[in-house]
Amino acid sequence: MLLRCLAAGALSAALCTPALSATIVVGQPDWPSAQVTAHIIADVLQERLGVEVRLRPVGTIELMGGIDRGEIDVHPEVWLPNGEEIVREYRDVRHSLTLSPISVAAEQHVCTTRETSEATGLKALKDLSKPEIAAAFDTDSDGLGEIWIGARTWSSTRIERVRAKSYGYDATMMLLTMPEDQALASVDAAVATGAPIVFYCYTPHYIYALHDIVTLEEPAYDPNAWKIVTAEQDPAWLSLSKAETAWEPSRYHVGYATSLKQDQPKVAAFLDRIKITEEDAVAMSYAVHVDGRSPEEIAATWVKDNGDRIEEWVK
Amino acid sequence: MSLVRKIFAASLALCMLVGTAAASEIFDPQTKTWVRYDPSRAIRYYQAHGGVPADFRRQVVNFRTAEKPGTIIIDGNRHFLYFVLPGFQAIRYGIGVGREGFGWAGIVNVGRKVEWPTWTPPAEMVARDPKAAKYAGGMPGGPDNPLGARALYLFEGNLDTIYRIHGTTEPWSIGLDISSGCIRMNNDDVIDLYNRVEVGAKVIVLMQGAALYRGV
Repeated sequence: MLLRCLAAGALSAALCTPALSATIVVGQPDWPSAQVTAHIIADVLQERLGVEVRLRPVGTIELMGGIDRGEIDVHPEVWLPNGEEIVREYRDVRHSLTLSPISVAAEQHVCTTRETSEATGLKALKDLSKPEIAAAFDTDSDGLGEIWIGARTWSSTRIERVRAKSYGYDATMMLLTMPEDQALASVDAAVATGAPIVFYCYTPHYIYALHDIVTLEEPAYDPNAWKIVTAEQDPAWLSLSKAETAWEPSRYHVGYATSLKQDQPKVAAFLDRIKITEEDAVAMSYAVHVDGRSPEEIAATWVKDNGDRIEEWVK
Repeated sequence: MSLVRKIFAASLALCMLVGTAAASEIFDPQTKTWVRYDPSRAIRYYQAHGGVPADFRRQVVNFRTAEKPGTIIIDGNRHFLYFVLPGFQAIRYGIGVGREGFGWAGIVNVGRKVEWPTWTPPAEMVARDPKAAKYAGGMPGGPDNPLGARALYLFEGNLDTIYRIHGTTEPWSIGLDISSGCIRMNNDDVIDLYNRVEVGAKVIVLMQGAALYRGV
């Protein structure tokens, strides 16, 4: 990493300065459990392993590119299969990215509220391709319903676009991208007035504790019904991709720069042993959003309360 | 004209008071359905009842959200502005929003609060309308000022977005999509909100309804 930064020239050398002094840069994507986990990693690295750390807020796709370029060292949550193609390139071809062997189970769906499902008859994801169902979600009278498919920087959002095309609701629904808190405030407002709402959803997440959420039915995951081409591979990625069934059961891992194995073996060993559970992630998500606590403070409390587990990770 | 000045002029144009209004909906508690609510109906209702329909009157409602107390959530589709309270409750106010000028949504903050704000008509309006021309230098705040009793200036970071939450001289227009922009409230309501909200408060404008109309 040191050599790569020096070779990169004056401009990026400024970005790489922390790496020169062996500072570990931990990327911080914008969803709650990743933010808290980034702080937990930073806290343990600093307090237990005596390493200088800098947190860098960054979108997940850019974060993986940053690891490949040697600008960032750690990704708290690399989601699969969302980032499958990028991971394959960096991990298996360029050997710049390593994923921890431990993962957290996750799920991704499209959701609605129970009230919406009962009022509109929306039960299955393919129902959204029916104009009469989609009409219930049209708030701006343009003839298309509206659905939130994720934040612009998320790796899942491109795939949700592919899913909309594959199920046919790209023709009946306007696919909205926006930050998660804006989208979930729409769910809050819809629940408050009994208005219909439909949106991308994932677990672990606090939203299931806040509202009565229904997951839309889909055919079980079939690898033959999925083909994802990334925008980096082909500008015509959308027309070349398909995703005609539910998501593959998902999972996420801590990811880190492979160079750490040589440069900072203790750090790499710690990152390989981190084990955040699904229950931890739900609690983090709820604490950030519903309790309104800062990721930094939640992480500090978590580290204090989980000394035994952390001891296992750093020994 | 610089981009900033163009934006400034646009902001003034967005906050003009007069314009055509489009129909929206109100909830009819008798039939438990949403029924059409258009300008002529709104004016008749206001004259007959001395106020807007119950839906658009200030009230505390149940509101389960992960947003912190003190946050404002604007639902342009239903014409409601929520001020989040502790304990999964919110104060809900009726609002009027723009139709053609409201093509935006996002997360902003209250950058500035002003009592009885000055209104300056845009140059185009000054040139066209002699009534506006006399206020070319700015119309002082007061009961006839279209910005009403209070204005909350919405910022993105440290920059003024050109959008405001303000009062109105046309209280009957609450609940409608009026063709000028900004978010308008009855003067009593905007004073109530002004007294509760803090500078820096998060404001979420939902991406639905009038926020999706293409315009400007």
